[in-house]
Amino acid sequence: MNKLFDKLQEDVRFREGLKACINCGTCTAICPAAEFYDYDPRQIVDIVQTRDEEKIEALLKGETIWYCGECMSCKTRCPRGNVPGLIICALRSLSQELGYFVESEKGRQQLALKRTIGKSILKTGYCVSPELVAAKLHPEQGPMWEWSQQHLPEIYNRLGANYKGDGPGALRKIPEEALDELARIFEITGGNKRFETIEEFSSKKAKELGLELDSGTDGEYFLNIYTTNNNRHNKK
Amino acid sequence: MKVEGKRLIWKDYQKEIAEDKFFYVRSCIRQTFFPGSEWAFLKIMKEVLGKDVYENPAHTTCTGIGYHSDIVPFDTTMTVVARQFALMTEAGYQNLVPSCITSFGLYTEVMETWKHFPEEEKKVRDYLKKATGREFEVPKNLAHASDIIYKFRKQIAAKGKYRLINKTTGEPLKVVEHIGCHYAKMFPSKGVGGAEYPYVLTGMVEDWGGEVIDYPERRHCCGFGFRQYLVKANRGFSVACSKKKFESMAPYKPDMIITNCPGCPMFLDRWQYVISEMEGKTYGEDGHGIPVFTYEEVAGLILGFDPWDLGLQLHQVPTEPLLNKIGIPYDPFKKYLGKNGEDIGIPMKPSMLNA
Amino acid sequence: MSKKVVIIGGGIAGMEASITLAELGYHATLLEKSHSTGGHVQDWYQLFPNRRPAKEVLTFSELRMEGKVKTINDADIIEIEKNINDFRILLRNGKLVVADAIVVATGFDLFDAHRKEEYGYGIYENVITSADLEKRFSEGKKILTHDGAAPKRIGIIHCVGSRDEKSGNNYCSKVCCVTGVKQAIEIREMLPETEVFCFYMDLRMFGRHFEELYKESQEKWGVSFIRGRLSEANENTDGSILLKVEDTLAGKPLKMKVDLLVLLAGFVPSGGTKAIGKMLGLPFGDDGFITPKDEHTSTNLTDIQGVFVTGSCTGPKSIQDSIADARAAATQVANYLK
Repeated sequence: MNKLFDKLQEDVRFREGLKACINCGTCTAICPAAEFYDYDPRQIVDIVQTRDEEKIEALLKGETIWYCGECMSCKTRCPRGNVPGLIICALRSLSQELGYFVESEKGRQQLALKRTIGKSILKTGYCVSPELVAAKLHPEQGPMWEWSQQHLPEIYNRLGANYKGDGPGALRKIPEEALDELARIFEITGGNKRFETIEEFSSKKAKELGLELDSGTDGEYFLNIYTTNNNRHNKK
Repeated sequence: MKVEGKRLIWKDYQKEIAEDKFFYVRSCIRQTFFPGSEWAFLKIMKEVLGKDVYENPAHTTCTGIGYHSDIVPFDTTMTVVARQFALMTEAGYQNLVPSCITSFGLYTEVMETWKHFPEEEKKVRDYLKKATGREFEVPKNLAHASDIIYKFRKQIAAKGKYRLINKTTGEPLKVVEHIGCHYAKMFPSKGVGGAEYPYVLTGMVEDWGGEVIDYPERRHCCGFGFRQYLVKANRGFSVACSKKKFESMAPYKPDMIITNCPGCPMFLDRWQYVISEMEGKTYGEDGHGIPVFTYEEVAGLILGFDPWDLGLQLHQVPTEPLLNKIGIPYDPFKKYLGKNGEDIGIPMKPSMLNA
Repeated sequence: MSKKVVIIGGGIAGMEASITLAELGYHATLLEKSHSTGGHVQDWYQLFPNRRPAKEVLTFSELRMEGKVKTINDADIIEIEKNINDFRILLRNGKLVVADAIVVATGFDLFDAHRKEEYGYGIYENVITSADLEKRFSEGKKILTHDGAAPKRIGIIHCVGSRDEKSGNNYCSKVCCVTGVKQAIEIREMLPETEVFCFYMDLRMFGRHFEELYKESQEKWGVSFIRGRLSEANENTDGSILLKVEDTLAGKPLKMKVDLLVLLAGFVPSGGTKAIGKMLGLPFGDDGFITPKDEHTSTNLTDIQGVFVTGSCTGPKSIQDSIADARAAATQVANYLK
């Protein structure tokens, strides 16, 4: 009865990523997340390869699978050709598919990513654009960014961009037909289904937590998942 | 350290980089934070090197950031990638040049996946046909824009007006080169020089007069980590990674940092500002910080492009000290002007960083 | 007129096979590619598990060879012709050697540690291999860092070029673990003030007295063992080496500074094994070593009549293994030629 492991096997990234682990630790040795978080990619791979249903379910509902930064430094080192980073991708996908992601503080953040990056992809055809990096939400960008945000067209067009213009160029307006094609791709390939799943389970969780979930990035639940850190994510 | 040892390894990782006729796809982050770099790349390719670089405005994001934030399923990402391939094929091109390193890693990952799992390619062809009616051929050559500049670095040096040399001392500038993780860590054979001692930026620096310095955390990720930066609650991870690098490189006294990934220079630049505000600590000389550049910016400076056309005014860590070191002239009064020379105000100075 | 056997490869296995065959009454000719016989054992200092001098084992063989085995050094074989009744071996210098049977004893090379790029061999001066260290011991040299200082801490890395898909070698090279333990003891004896850390995945103490040697290294000599494979080595400003590893038993990543790093390089099939095997049309396994007729029951036979194999050309072996295997091969040759 290894249903979760079998489900993982359906993901081509999982099949690429897991051959068999000999617990040598070269992945954890080099992993940036293992330096700062209470995270050990070797242990995760070792747990997954036991195929134990309960242990895998605990991973899918827990915090640890969300610490990885997908830098893939692990792939460079593994002597068995495993890729802990790809296994993490498969775990994260399955966690969202099953709705388990809302059980962890870090997992709940998927809604924030969907409503910022995900929305941007379908609305503009870019993952990220200057308007998305609003200075108020990103004080780390510094005073120079704050200034540039107030004069986007003047600055960006000075630098050779075609800001929201037609035709080629940086930050151009991506044509409607292209956005329509993206929308259809998302529909057919399960992209929309993923977005809907994230919303559905987040909505349930928001009710459970008694937090208001609106449709944008200002509501109680959104701000909660975007900013909450229980400070228990680092190593003792 | 014996650099000859590294040269032995570089020999093993030679990569085929196309000569001409490139299909260019842009980078979401490059456009957002370093639009001048993409402008510079195209100007260098077309006007300085006389190459054919074509951009179809209907191309979109590759969804790389969404994919690595795990909100976009792999099937969706593969199909969007296939659409980019289709646009390239339809325009009659076979050489794909992404501006973004995450894109480069993603295109490589998708093509490798299709090699190991041909049924995935078939599935994607069907999806794309159904969603858009388009068909595609896999690119014959995939090279990142930095690979192209690397390939033509000697021609750029020959036409260059400036060198990476301290004009007062005559010594080569000490340069930290930072390679984006998704350039070679996933598929070392797809990176010039491999994953351990990548040569793509070192080659540029050496041919442009500088000296590359090695330091223990050279290969460490800058800390973007996708969701680790994009969600505010996680940002500590991101700044911690960059800080680790700064602490490690500081004893080697670098004059500048050069990078090839779009996200990395943004992080290495902004996190210096943040660390100065949070801890009062600055790196580099006189509290100026260590200036961070994209390779397009460095190529542009070598060729004598105006620093403000290149977009250096959008750096939080000031680049003027480095321009002074090299002897590149600039007009400080033109730094913050708009496209038509209009006065659009100036940013506030950071409280700790000597800008 | 006694039958002629040619033994290709003058390492310990080839030497022992040639002596045994000579003592059995055959006309034994030993062809050695380099200037002298003895193979890799010439490069070793003390042998595990009892740290006896390697020279003694060589001398034991050399003395018995004298007057009984014809040795041709600098023998570069360019062609081997198999006829119905014999073999004709052509050397580059034009000399022709005829044989009724051939014993392939072409052995191994050490993995070229340059190829394990992230360990910095050939780039960071304070990274050396086990063979480099053994040479320093043999030459009576002091164990110093590149700057001539006494190292305060030495790291020994297991599995370099072995059990490593990235290096192209999935197999275990068998003898490196016990070599590492031996060298750790030798260092501790020579430099009582120096800490020694062995970084391993498993400790393969397969032979008699090997486990006891490991126990001695801990109890008597204070060698430390960390279960974690080295992921990356970097150089600090002072030339010391910074190691990135995971202490897998503690479940924590570990960064450690060492003054000298010793890489336990594994076995690869030698250039001679590849060349001679190809010349004779012998089958190679996925691991690149020659595959004998049967890996349990006929480890010295091949599918080619009159061609026998012994020593490390069929896989990593210790010196004890090689000597025993060589004598076994000789009995098989005798059985064939009678």
